[in-house]
Amino acid sequence: MNEIVDIGAWELAAAYLLLAFPFAIILWYRVPMLGETVTSLIRMTVQLLLVGLYLQVIFRLNILWLNAAWLVVMVVVADVSIVRSCGLRFRQIAWPVFLALTAGTAIPLTLFTGLILRRTNLLDAQYAIPIGGMILGNCLRADIVGIRTFYESIRPTEKAFLQSLAEGASLPEAIRPYVRKATQAALAPTVATMATIGLVSLPGMMTGVILGGASPATAIKYQIAIMISIFSGTAITVALGIRLTTRSSFTAYGTLDPTTFRDRPKK
Amino acid sequence: MSKAMEAKNVEIRFGGQVVLQGFSLSLEPGEKALLTGPSGCGKSTVLRCFLGFVVPDAGSVSIEGAELTADTVWRLRQHVAYVGQEPDLGAGTAAQAVERPFHYRANAGLRRNLDRIPELFERFHLGQDLLHKDVGSLSGGEKQRIALVSAILLDRKIFLLDEVTSALDKVSKQAVADYFRERDDAAALIVAHDPEVFSFVRRVVELPCHTRTRDTA
Repeated sequence: MNEIVDIGAWELAAAYLLLAFPFAIILWYRVPMLGETVTSLIRMTVQLLLVGLYLQVIFRLNILWLNAAWLVVMVVVADVSIVRSCGLRFRQIAWPVFLALTAGTAIPLTLFTGLILRRTNLLDAQYAIPIGGMILGNCLRADIVGIRTFYESIRPTEKAFLQSLAEGASLPEAIRPYVRKATQAALAPTVATMATIGLVSLPGMMTGVILGGASPATAIKYQIAIMISIFSGTAITVALGIRLTTRSSFTAYGTLDPTTFRDRPKK
Repeated sequence: MSKAMEAKNVEIRFGGQVVLQGFSLSLEPGEKALLTGPSGCGKSTVLRCFLGFVVPDAGSVSIEGAELTADTVWRLRQHVAYVGQEPDLGAGTAAQAVERPFHYRANAGLRRNLDRIPELFERFHLGQDLLHKDVGSLSGGEKQRIALVSAILLDRKIFLLDEVTSALDKVSKQAVADYFRERDDAAALIVAHDPEVFSFVRRVVELPCHTRTRDTA
């Protein structure tokens, strides 16, 4: 297979010509998202250029602690994003979500690089950073859906939840129906993706491996391994995320702590 | 013999507003009491207090002689049966709703009580066919009586009843009242806007709004 063709600065600039189509559509129909689109494009460009520069350094140095630190930074950013998206109080939820994200990313990543790729250096930048990033990105999406579904389904049916406590349920027993619903909501997109992958579109990792010069056969094996890792990671992070957050979002009496939610006044 | 339930100088505030102040009450085993008072004066809050759903800002609450705390609440809840005004039976059929509490570890030894479902359904004028109906299709009165059956099957000696007859017809109300009149072994704190239904209950605890109240019975 051939080595991947690099994109020069002028050629990359040419890619921006493609923006003529969406901008023409936005302007023609007066879609009220021109400012938002420009901001997003600038942010994407600046963020990716900076990350690209930083990753160049990380890949060149390939120092274990620096690679780990980069993954931790990504987990922290994902953590903040999840807590904000779920409408929960940072102080109560951030740490449990951080632990859940770390476990959901680290466990499948370690197995991927160690067991599947047989790397002696589990945090080799070439593998750990892109694979970790893919797993973490999916964990982020799954946690937002799962944690938000859990709390949004328990709040309006608090009466039924309290009734189960009154009937003698322990906290894990009382929250089980809500955990079940949240887990299903969080895992459903990955399950659906696995069912149609390759038929609807070529997945990101497979495309990347092919562009990197590997054969489609190798790319497929990578894709299968990453899909299983993502599914495993999302299941771990959602189950842990809900379980760990309940330690701080429920009172010692088993009732939902109203201060957990940003939109509810403290008692 | 310890009291079935007791509240001592309980004070509860919500958002800085005093809902209960200096509230005291005790019930002997088997004793029944009606809790009355204007709407919004905290009757349901008192019941929720005995379940640990509302924690007093001052004072204490006890069940069968043991103070309700974060450590004891999980055990003490297993001594109390609670039926709310508009019970949420969850999803599924009525049979599933009645059986649900028996899947909890605390009630695992009580599954034989489910054999009493036909008898209790008959007693509270509920058709046996209701068991196979989805709870979403049940009327308010049917839900109240099914919740009551579920609570009775848990074999508890203290009942907290919050407007359990509000959606019932006269005959069903009488059936509920008769049941509790015959239960000499069970204490009950009953909130009812139609106290004449529970005319056999001699003790009435009036709960004034935002005032210092003390039960002297």
